Amino acid sequence: MTTVEIFVGIFDGFRITATVTALGLLFAVPFALIFGVAQYLTKGAAHLAVTAVIEFWRSSAVIILLFVFYYVLPVIGIQLPAITVAAMVLGLNAGGYGSQAVRAGLQSLDRGQFEAAAALGLPRGHILALIELPQALTRMAPTFINQFIQLIKGTALVSLVTLTDMTFRAKEIAELEYNPVGVYTSLLLAYFVVCYPVTVFGRWVEQRSGGRKGLTNEF
Amino acid sequence: MSDGQSMRQAASWPAEIGQQHGARGPDQTAAVEAAALNKWFGSFHALKDINLAVPQGGRIVICGPSGSGKSTLIRCVNGLEPFQSGTVRIGGVDLTRDQKQLQKIRRSVGMVFQQFNLFPHLTVMANCTLALRRVLGKSRTEAADIAAHYLERVRIPEQAHKYPAQLSGGQQQRVAIARALCMNPKIMLFDEPTSSLDPEMVKEVLDVMIDLAADGMTMLCVTHEMGFAREAADQVVFMDQGSIVETASPATFFAAPSQERTRLFLDKMLR
Ligand SMILES: Nc1ncnc2c1ncn2[C@@H]1O[C@H](COP(=O)(O)OP(=O)(O)OP(=O)(O)O)[C@@H](O)[C@H]1O
Ligand SMILES: [Mg+2]
Repeated sequence: MTTVEIFVGIFDGFRITATVTALGLLFAVPFALIFGVAQYLTKGAAHLAVTAVIEFWRSSAVIILLFVFYYVLPVIGIQLPAITVAAMVLGLNAGGYGSQAVRAGLQSLDRGQFEAAAALGLPRGHILALIELPQALTRMAPTFINQFIQLIKGTALVSLVTLTDMTFRAKEIAELEYNPVGVYTSLLLAYFVVCYPVTVFGRWVEQRSGGRKGLTNEF
Repeated sequence: MSDGQSMRQAASWPAEIGQQHGARGPDQTAAVEAAALNKWFGSFHALKDINLAVPQGGRIVICGPSGSGKSTLIRCVNGLEPFQSGTVRIGGVDLTRDQKQLQKIRRSVGMVFQQFNLFPHLTVMANCTLALRRVLGKSRTEAADIAAHYLERVRIPEQAHKYPAQLSGGQQQRVAIARALCMNPKIMLFDEPTSSLDPEMVKEVLDVMIDLAADGMTMLCVTHEMGFAREAADQVVFMDQGSIVETASPATFFAAPSQERTRLFLDKMLR
């Protein structure tokens, strides 16, 4: 097999990598928003409960969570498809990190923003949705892009629960043919090809928000 | 909205205001009334037994040394700061901690902050129309008309499409005033509206405030602009260490304050 053939073979797994990433986002984005906001708004017992859920997903090792949900849950009669387990575990892990960016973004806003909006008679939900979140999310955009890249790279683990992603394909090819250098270099390249455009996009987003700040200083 | 324009034509307003105010006769309900108001931050007694009434059309200036509780008092008036005892009435309605009621009261109480607090992600126009649309349910065009009227009134022409960061401090503060006026408030609260402005921009903001006073707006202003107090206020309240030390007409306040603490403060201020 030529290097090109190996690379194309690995890219066979791209569909799974992309699917897990996309489904992962479906878990990650709502989790990050809901739990980040909840952690910002709640106090007392509710705050502790929200924090506990976030910390569970954020601080557990992804690989262990994958095994637990894929291999242990069936023992108590819960059988989830591998792709669901993978998307959920990776997504909620990324969402756990994302929630912290959401909360930090909200907390970093000047208190005067809330006060000015409240003084106009806006209800709490409107203040959050129209004043606080738009500013917090823009401010945190570079962090979200980084976390998105982490999610893509994290999908390499799903080969451990039998999904034929790019990493799994690389291992298959490596078994057929003794060329570890060619295979794993191609695998590195494959992830680079997927992630680099996102990095470029992230830089563009960062520059755009930085550009606005530049404008601010100018006047 | 139209009363705003009619009063613009008033030529020599200070005399006229006096007459107009007198012509209203003894006033019905006070616009703002704080009675036996006490506020603590933890164990720190920030407001001590405050009694203050702002009549409709009244223009009250609050001054006093840093940390005397001026901001805290003004923030209690629109419920931005909760208090532990006493009452605050806005137009005869008791301020409670019920959020729905607070929201309703806040519609009729405009507030202008030292740091402007414009929404940086929204254009000048959107800053002004946001609450009109979301709180009062006005249509886009109706809200835009109202905003344009008040932006003109604070002399911000042709800047409606810009973002706050593209304006000077003085312009930003005037937009903040317009944003508050859009809700057609019964009273305006100002917390040191000129303190973070460069000296050359102070006047443009004070001019707008003086205009408002001339139009009969009820105003409660924390400010150290003694010129403004002299010209536009009908009462000056001096606070120190959480208490109201002295309340007097501007003439008496500056010429013959009755309290030693007031004299010391004025000596420092006017030196
Ligand atoms: N959130 C808070 N927590 C604790 N103490 C506070 C808080 N806000 C204000 N204080 C204290 O209450 C006192 C009154 O503060 P306030 O801001 O009302 O003073 P001020 O008269 O407006 O002063 P300045 O002229 O500096 O604005 C100060 O001693 C201040 O340290
Ligand atoms: Mg203050």
